[in-house]
Amino acid sequence: MSKNSTINANDLKLAFPSCVRLESKPHLFCPGCGHPEVLKALGFAIDELGIQKDVAFGIDIGCSLLAWDYFNLDTIETHHGRTIPTMVGFKRANPKAVTIAYVGDGGAYAIGGGHLMNAAVRDEKIMIIVVNNATYGMTGGQEAPTTLPGMIMDTAPYGADQYYMKGPDMIRQVNPTAFVARGITSRQLALRDLMKEALEFHIAGKGMVFLEVLSPCTLNWKTMDRPDKTFAFLEGELSQAFPVKKY
Amino acid sequence: MSEKKFLMGNEALGRAALAAGAKALYGYPITPTSEVLHFWSKEAGSEKGKKDGLIFLQAEDEIGASFMMIGAVLAGVRSFTATGGPGHVLMQDAFSMAEAMRLPVVAYINQRGGPSTSTVIYSQSEVNLACFGGNGNGYRIVYSPATLQEMYDYGIKVFDTSWKYRFPTFLLGDGYLAKMMGEVDVYDPAERGIKVEPTEAYMLEKSRTRPLESIVPSPELHIRKGKDGTSYDCFRNCLNMEEETLAVNMEIKSAWDKVAPEIMEHEVFGDTSAEILIVAHGIVSASAKSAIAELAQQGIKTRLFRPITLRPFPEDALRRASQGAKKILVPESALGQLSRFVRDSLYGHASVPVIEYGRPSIGITPGEIERLVKENL
Amino acid sequence: MLSIAKTMAYAAWLQGKKSVYVPYFSTEKRGGVSIAYAQFGDEEIAFPKFEKADLWVVMSQRAIDRIYDQLQPGTKVIVNSTLVHDISRLAAWNPHEIDAGNIAKLQLKKPRTFNMVLMGAMVALTPGLDKVSFSKALDKTFKEKYEKEPALQALNEKAFKIGYDLI
Repeated sequence: MSKNSTINANDLKLAFPSCVRLESKPHLFCPGCGHPEVLKALGFAIDELGIQKDVAFGIDIGCSLLAWDYFNLDTIETHHGRTIPTMVGFKRANPKAVTIAYVGDGGAYAIGGGHLMNAAVRDEKIMIIVVNNATYGMTGGQEAPTTLPGMIMDTAPYGADQYYMKGPDMIRQVNPTAFVARGITSRQLALRDLMKEALEFHIAGKGMVFLEVLSPCTLNWKTMDRPDKTFAFLEGELSQAFPVKKY
Repeated sequence: MSEKKFLMGNEALGRAALAAGAKALYGYPITPTSEVLHFWSKEAGSEKGKKDGLIFLQAEDEIGASFMMIGAVLAGVRSFTATGGPGHVLMQDAFSMAEAMRLPVVAYINQRGGPSTSTVIYSQSEVNLACFGGNGNGYRIVYSPATLQEMYDYGIKVFDTSWKYRFPTFLLGDGYLAKMMGEVDVYDPAERGIKVEPTEAYMLEKSRTRPLESIVPSPELHIRKGKDGTSYDCFRNCLNMEEETLAVNMEIKSAWDKVAPEIMEHEVFGDTSAEILIVAHGIVSASAKSAIAELAQQGIKTRLFRPITLRPFPEDALRRASQGAKKILVPESALGQLSRFVRDSLYGHASVPVIEYGRPSIGITPGEIERLVKENL
Repeated sequence: MLSIAKTMAYAAWLQGKKSVYVPYFSTEKRGGVSIAYAQFGDEEIAFPKFEKADLWVVMSQRAIDRIYDQLQPGTKVIVNSTLVHDISRLAAWNPHEIDAGNIAKLQLKKPRTFNMVLMGAMVALTPGLDKVSFSKALDKTFKEKYEKEPALQALNEKAFKIGYDLI
């Protein structure tokens, strides 16, 4: 934007959810990161449902912590892998709150795995959003529970092994009634709808909500200068391994 | 509602939590503390418990339990956990977060053999852990009860202390106190004028009586205004710049230093002219009292200094007590954990020899303490 | 075994004595040696464990080796001879051998009452605990059990008397 142009308030309204903290712009995420897309979709859904004052937003340590600046929502940053039990304890003490745990694939499936699976078995009434970019982004690009075979990572310099976790499948296995779905950051409108549906399920108290969202990490995928490669991987190999659908 | 009952220490703890108005227990089974969970799960599932909104959940592990407790505290609910030994080790992750962010978490900790799994019976070896565990500088309040009655008394007090001063607050019992049965007066705290400290949520509380800025270290707190003027409270513990973490630590220290004098508790017992001073805490101090009384009957003068709070440690009181002492004997069921506090307090103030009697993870009977004194006359 | 000591301590407390009980065990609920310490008297009891016993009830062969060091001259010893056969080490203490298990099974037709047989003997050997008030205290302890199974009360009383009279 040239410094002489004026910004129309309506333009901003269309671009960003009203619960977003505009002072945090430009955001701190890497160029091409998927987190802002996930947060934006969540924010629009929160706006539409009019629940900004009722949300307790829990975030993990990792790139999800950069979400701390993003919203005007009551926010708590926990220890790594501990966002889920913190929000479980919160929700049981304040059942009316819209309780969200926003974590990465490491926090959900590795260090937080035990908490996640037990919360799922117990059908804890919280909403879990897992941003899956197949890496540990903040610490510099180590192998993650969802890293695909052959991907080069700092702790897998010769290529990652063939084992990886399929979160929504695991959750569905142990919990037949939870809201389980996978979205993708490259389909923003579909993601907004998914967020809204998930929140409605959560607010109605129907049970656990588990939403994994496929997201790029352009830094550790080493595609920051190649958006075409980013989207090719995101919508290609990653989506094939992790189908975008409702479970 | 004062009533004398024949109770196990763990049951006294459970009843104390009830009397203190606690609402939520998140825990994980571990000897010698599991009976606290048994008691609370029964209370929470009873008709009255359900009506009162009591919460109980056995978590997947101690880490889960302690973070669930943090969640409940953030919701403004008086919440606690109960553990010991390896469980106590695991909970340091959550305790560190609470220490950094001034969250009033409460834990009943019954010490058992250590290090590692060891025995499930007894020790005093978790003093270091309770006082200095985690990756902070040890700003937690730690009470060391000596009798079954004190398990109840301090079982109530930990909640009010925690919510008033906003530091993690622990009752550091042990396997004997936890498992032994004897008489406990389970009074109603209101009948004794004990004030219940009000709680207030950290999150989703739109009208506050106590401003968060006076509690949470400033780099960790950000209060934002929404478009319609609503306040949103945001908390973090991950910091970017060294100056921020310095500020957090110094703010915690400053808040602590201001209130430590009113939190400290200690007790003295025995002939004030005695030159042999015994320093002991917890059940060993009860054993020492028995020994002192027996020795007095034999014409041997000894006296006891008992810290009731290990953190903050009553240093000045110990310095005063050490005046006129020719020898200080420190019996403890650990190695160097209580005696470290003694030496720290007295350095530069008194050069009385400190004799350590460390019996890690094993009980110290009154007879043993009597013999210890006689060997040091 | 843990419940004998606990019941003794509780009943002594109901009788107005100062009383403390503590169990002592290892991680395995089965397999380790089970010991319980109970103390009662007129003075405040500071520490739940003690070094030398006034009364020792031997319930297993292994216990003899484990507890031997806690005997002193004058310790009264009761041996449950149903389960403990070699008491040669204890000869100097003139132990009271009571075949509690078989008394309960054969005379009372209720194996569980062996506890009460031993308790009767224990009360007979403990100064300061009188039979009548102790009996009342036991009734209070088992009130709920007796409401469910009224016949048990008479059986327990009989078992208690048998043990008491054996001393």
